[in-house]
Amino acid sequence: MRIQRRLTTPRWLVVAVPVASLIAAFAAAAIVLLIAGKDPGATYARLFDRAFIAPGAITSTLITATPLLFTGLAAAAAFRMRLWNIGGEGQLYLGAVGASGAGLFLRDQPPAVIIAGMVGGGLAAGAAWSSIPGVLKAYFKTNEIITSLMLNYVAGLLLTYLIFDSRSFWRELGTFSARAFPQGKQLPDAATWPTFDLGVAVIPFGFLLGLIAALGLWLFYRSTSFGFQARVLGDSPSAARYAGIKTRRVVVAMMALSGALAGVGGASEIGDFRHVLDPRGLQQAGFGYAGIVVAALARYNPFAVAVVAFLLGGLANAGYSLQGPDFPAGLVGVLQGMILFFALGGELLLRYRVSFRARLAAAPS
Amino acid sequence: MNVNDSIVVVLAASAIFYGTPLVFAAMGELLAERSGVLNLGVEGMMLTGAVTAFWAVQHLSGPDWLVLLLATMIGGLAALAVSVIHAVLVVGLRANQIVSGLALTIFAGATGLSSYVGNVARLGGQPAHHEYTAINVLGLADVPVLGPILFHQNALVYASWALVLVALAYLHRTRTGLHVRAVGESPQTADVMGIDVARYRYAHTLAGGLLAGVGGAYFSLAITPNWIDGMTSGAGWIAIALVIFAFWRPELTLAGAYLFGLFSSLGFVLQARQVHLPPEVFASLPYLMTVVVLVAVSTGWARQRLGAPAALGTPYVREER
Amino acid sequence: MNPEVTAGAVPAVAMRSITKRFPGVLANDSVDFEAREGEVHALLGENGAGKSTLASILTGLYRPDAGDIEIYGRRVEFHSPRDAMAAGVSMVHQHFRLAASLTVADNIVLGHQAAPWLRASPRTIESQVTDLARRYRMPVNPTARIWQLSVGEQQRVEILKSLYRGARILILDEPTSLLTPQEADDLFETLRRMTAEGRTIVFVSHKLEELMAVSDRVTVLRGGRVVGTVETKSTTPPQLARMMVGREVVFAQSKEAHRMEGGEVVLELRGISADGDLGIKAVNDVSLAIKAGEIVGIAGVSGNGQRELAEAISGARRRSAGDVIVDGRSLRNGDPEDAIARGIAHVPEDRLGTGVSPSLSVADNLILKSHRRAPIATRGILRRQRIAANAKQLMSRFSVSAPGPDTPTRLLSGGNVQKVVLARELSSRPRAIVAANPTRGLDVGATESVRELLIKAAAGGVGILLISEDLDEVLALADRIAVIYEGRIAGVVPRDEADVQRIGLMMAGAPA
Repeated sequence: MRIQRRLTTPRWLVVAVPVASLIAAFAAAAIVLLIAGKDPGATYARLFDRAFIAPGAITSTLITATPLLFTGLAAAAAFRMRLWNIGGEGQLYLGAVGASGAGLFLRDQPPAVIIAGMVGGGLAAGAAWSSIPGVLKAYFKTNEIITSLMLNYVAGLLLTYLIFDSRSFWRELGTFSARAFPQGKQLPDAATWPTFDLGVAVIPFGFLLGLIAALGLWLFYRSTSFGFQARVLGDSPSAARYAGIKTRRVVVAMMALSGALAGVGGASEIGDFRHVLDPRGLQQAGFGYAGIVVAALARYNPFAVAVVAFLLGGLANAGYSLQGPDFPAGLVGVLQGMILFFALGGELLLRYRVSFRARLAAAPS
Repeated sequence: MNVNDSIVVVLAASAIFYGTPLVFAAMGELLAERSGVLNLGVEGMMLTGAVTAFWAVQHLSGPDWLVLLLATMIGGLAALAVSVIHAVLVVGLRANQIVSGLALTIFAGATGLSSYVGNVARLGGQPAHHEYTAINVLGLADVPVLGPILFHQNALVYASWALVLVALAYLHRTRTGLHVRAVGESPQTADVMGIDVARYRYAHTLAGGLLAGVGGAYFSLAITPNWIDGMTSGAGWIAIALVIFAFWRPELTLAGAYLFGLFSSLGFVLQARQVHLPPEVFASLPYLMTVVVLVAVSTGWARQRLGAPAALGTPYVREER
Repeated sequence: MNPEVTAGAVPAVAMRSITKRFPGVLANDSVDFEAREGEVHALLGENGAGKSTLASILTGLYRPDAGDIEIYGRRVEFHSPRDAMAAGVSMVHQHFRLAASLTVADNIVLGHQAAPWLRASPRTIESQVTDLARRYRMPVNPTARIWQLSVGEQQRVEILKSLYRGARILILDEPTSLLTPQEADDLFETLRRMTAEGRTIVFVSHKLEELMAVSDRVTVLRGGRVVGTVETKSTTPPQLARMMVGREVVFAQSKEAHRMEGGEVVLELRGISADGDLGIKAVNDVSLAIKAGEIVGIAGVSGNGQRELAEAISGARRRSAGDVIVDGRSLRNGDPEDAIARGIAHVPEDRLGTGVSPSLSVADNLILKSHRRAPIATRGILRRQRIAANAKQLMSRFSVSAPGPDTPTRLLSGGNVQKVVLARELSSRPRAIVAANPTRGLDVGATESVRELLIKAAAGGVGILLISEDLDEVLALADRIAVIYEGRIAGVVPRDEADVQRIGLMMAGAPA
C-alpha cells in the first residue's frame, strides 16, 4: 500500500467519507450485537423508528439534540484551534447549575427576564468553569486535556453535593418526602422555555438558540480579527507569537467561549426539558462527551455540527427511551465510538491518496 | 495502641493498595508514550479490563489463585484487543491521536462497551466469587510499621513492583529498550538506523492496553470486588497525568501512583476516624490534586525538556515531501 | 557509462536509470551514477535538482519507481535503510538523524543488530566509542547528550555512527553547510583518511569551491537529470556552474559599497541579552547600531544565539537585559506587536512554521500582521474584499507564483513562501528589517530575487540586519560584518577589510 499526501481534496469525498463511516459503523456494531445474541436488523429498525419515525419522535429527538448541539459547538470551537477542551461535560453541569440558580432566583420576574437570566447564568457558569483550564494552559502551560477532564469529575461531585449532601439553594427542602429522598427545587412555570410547533415537530427554543450559536461561530472564525487570531494560533503557535498575537489572551478567551457554549447547553437542558437540577439525569446523559463525537464527525464545521447533533440526538433519544434488557445501556456509546473510529479512519482518505500495488518479487538474477 | 493501627501506617498501606492500579495503567501508558503514541483511551481500556476480568471470575472455577490469574489475564487481553483499534488508527492510518484516544474512551468506557458487556451479562450487584486478598508474606505482616505496608498486600501489588523493575531494565539495559526511546524521541533517526518505527509503536501501544486492562481488573477483583458501571471513575485519566508528573520515568511513576493512592484513600481512612466533611470533598481530592500537581510540574524548572518524548503524539510518515 | 573506469575494476556504487516521482514532481529522471572505490565523488546540483532524492534512494530511505542499483557489482534492492547498511552503505544527513535526549554512545550503537539484546554496561559501550573516535581523530564525549553538543560535534557523531557499523560507502549530504571554514577543513582531512582505507565517499553539495578542494570526480544534476560526470582535475568552477544552472551565472551578486555615509541610526541594540529555550543564556550583551540604508551582517556557526537574537529584537523572545531602540525610543520587551507597530520587520529563519501560518491561505498570510487594523479590519470585522485586493496586488508585485490567493501556503515552494514573507514585511514600510538566513534552502533563482529585494530595500533607506550562516552571503551583501560566537559579538569588520580566514577564526571562538 502506498500513501501520499493529497494536494487537494475532492468535494464529493468530504460528504462521502462521513456517510460511508456511518454505514460502516453500523455494520461493525452489528457484529457486536450478533455476539451478544441480538438481531441487528430488528435492533436498528426499532432504534430508527424511535428516533425519527414514531409519533413525537422528532420532537423528543430535537430535545436531546439541543444539548448535543451546544456541546458539539463547544468542542468544535476549541478543537478547531487545537485547544483540547474535553471538559464540556462539567461545563454543561455548571451551566445547568447557573441556569437553574438564575431561574429560581428570578422566579417572580416576567418570563422573558427569567429566560434571559437562565441563558446568561448558564453561559457565565460554563465560561467560568472552562476558564480554569484555560488560564492554567495560558499561564502555566498545563495540559488542558487532563485539567479540563479532571474538572468534569469535580463538577459531577458538586452537583451531587448541592442536591444530596447540603442544604443548598437548589435543593427542595420544603416537603417531608424531599427531605428523605433528596431532590432539586422545581423551577417556576414561567421558567419553561417556549416551543414552536411546526406540525411535524415541535422545535424547542434551545435548539433555535443553538442554530444561532452555530451561525455565530461560523461568522466568528470566518470574519472577525479575533477569529483570525485563533485560526493562526491553532495552526502555528510560533507564527502567532511572531505576528504579535497575544496568545495567552486568545487561549483564555477561546476556552471561555467553548465553556460558555457548553454552559448554554446545560441551561437548555433545564429550560427545555428538566426544569429542575437533577444530578443523576445530567450525569447519565453524558452530553459533554458525546459532544466530542459530534464535533469530530462534523469536522469542526458549525453547520455540520447541527446536522450531526440531530442524527446522534436521535440515536441517544432512541437508546435512552428503549433502554432495558433488549437495549442495555452502553449500546449507544458503542455505536458512537464505532462511528467515530470509522470517521477517523476515513480522514486518511481525505488527506492522503491511497493506492494499492502488488510488490513485485525480486527477479532472480 | 498497636503502632500498626496508627493513622500513618494505615494511610501508607492503603496508599499502596489504592495506588497499585495506577501503577499498572501508568506504566502501560508510559511504554506507549515512550514509543511516541499518546493513548487517551486508558479509562476505556481499564473499564474493559474491569468488566471482563469480573465476568471471568464469575464464570471460571478452580483454585483462587488460578482463577484470579486467568481473570486478570483475560482483563488484560480484552483491553489489549480494544487498544488495537487505537494502534491501527494512529500508527497505521495516521489519525489524530487525541481524537482517537477520546473515541476509544467513549467506545469502551462507562457509556460504551464495558457498560454494554456488564449489562448484557447482568454482572451488576453480584458479589465476586474470587477476589485478591492480602498475603502475609513470610509471616512478616505483624512486624511494626513495615509489616502492613510491605508484607501484607495482595499479589498484584507485588507484581506491580516487579513490573517497575522490569520496565526500568527494559528501557535502559536492553537493545529494544534503546530502540523504543529512539522511536519516541526521533522516529526519523530510528528509521534511518533500520528500526521499524511502526512495529515498535504497535507493540508498545498494545502493551499499554494490556497493562491498563490489568489495572482495571484490580478495581473489580481487589478494590471493590464487584462490578458497577464506570467503576474506575477517572483513574485512567489520572494515570495519564501521572506519566507527565513522573517525567516519563518508571520509578517516579511508582511514587506518583502512591501519592494518588493516598488521596484516594484519605476519605475512607479519615471517615473511619470520625472526621466529618462532605464526602464530595474527599472524593474530589484526587482530581483536584491532579490539577494542582500538573500545574506544579508544568511550571518553572520542570518544564525544561525533562523526559517528554520529542515525537509524542505525532504520526511518522517516511515517504513525504 | 564512464569510459575511464579501469577494466576489471568494479565500481563501488552503480545506479542505473533511476526514476523517482513525488506528487507533482519528477525528482529523478532516469539517472545514471557511478562511484569508484576509494574516491570522493561529488554530487552537484541546485536545491531541487534531485541530489537528496538520489542519495535517499541509495540509502534505502526511498524506493525508486524504476531503475536498479549495484554495490560492488552485486544487484541490490533496498527496502529500508537497514538493508542499505547491511550492504555497507550509510548516509550522513544534512539534518542530522540523532535522538537529542539520548547520549552520544546510545546514538552510535542505535539499531546495531549485532549488539546483544541485554546491553553491555554503559561503560563498555562508551569505551568502544572512545576508541573509535580516537582512531579517526574525531574527539567526542560519549556520555554527553546530543542536545548539549555543537553542530560540528553532532556531525562527528553521525560519521562515527556509520563507521561503527563498518560502512564502506558513505554519503554526506551538504556536510559543510553548518561548519566554520576550519571545521570544514578538519572534515576534509577525515574524509581523506577514510578514502585511504578504501572507503568511498559520495559528497552531495552545491558549493563549487569545496568540491574543487575535496573531490576526485563530480556528477552534475539538473532538474532531476544527469548533466554529466567530469574529473575534478580537468574542470573549473565556472564550467561546473554552467552545467549546474544551465546558463552563465553571475557569481554572487553583491551590494554596491554603501554610499549612505552618515545615515541616521534606525535600529540600535544596547547590551541585549536573552535566554534560549533551555533557560541558558543564548544572547550575551550584544550592542550594534544599524543605519538607514545599511546592511549589517551577522556571521556565525548555527546555534550561537542567532535565532534568539533575532527573536529578542522582534519581541518574540523576552530580553533578560538591554534595550532595542528604534528612532530613539526603546521597544517594549517581549511584545512583537510593539515591534511591528514601530516598523521592525522580521524575516524569520523558520519560514514555514513561523514566517507564515502553513495551513492558512496565501491571502491570509499576507495580512498576518495587519489583520487588526484598517483597512483590513474595521471594528474587529475582517473586510474580505480588501484582503483579496491586498493579496492580488502583493502577489503580482512580488511575483509570488501560487495556484491562487486561497491556496494553503504550505503547498508553495520554499522560494514562493519566502516571497510571501518578504511581500508582507516589505509592504509594511519598515524602518528596519531583521532577516535570518533568508535564502537558506532556496534555489539559485529564488536566492537571487530574495537578495535583490533586500538590496533594493536598503537602497530605499531601510536598515537591514542580515543574520546568516552562509558566510559567502554575508560577505556579498553586508556593509559591515559582525561575527557572533556563543551569543557574543566577537568582532565587527567593515566589508573592505573582511578576510575569510580571520572571520572563520572568530566564528570558531578564537580571539580576533
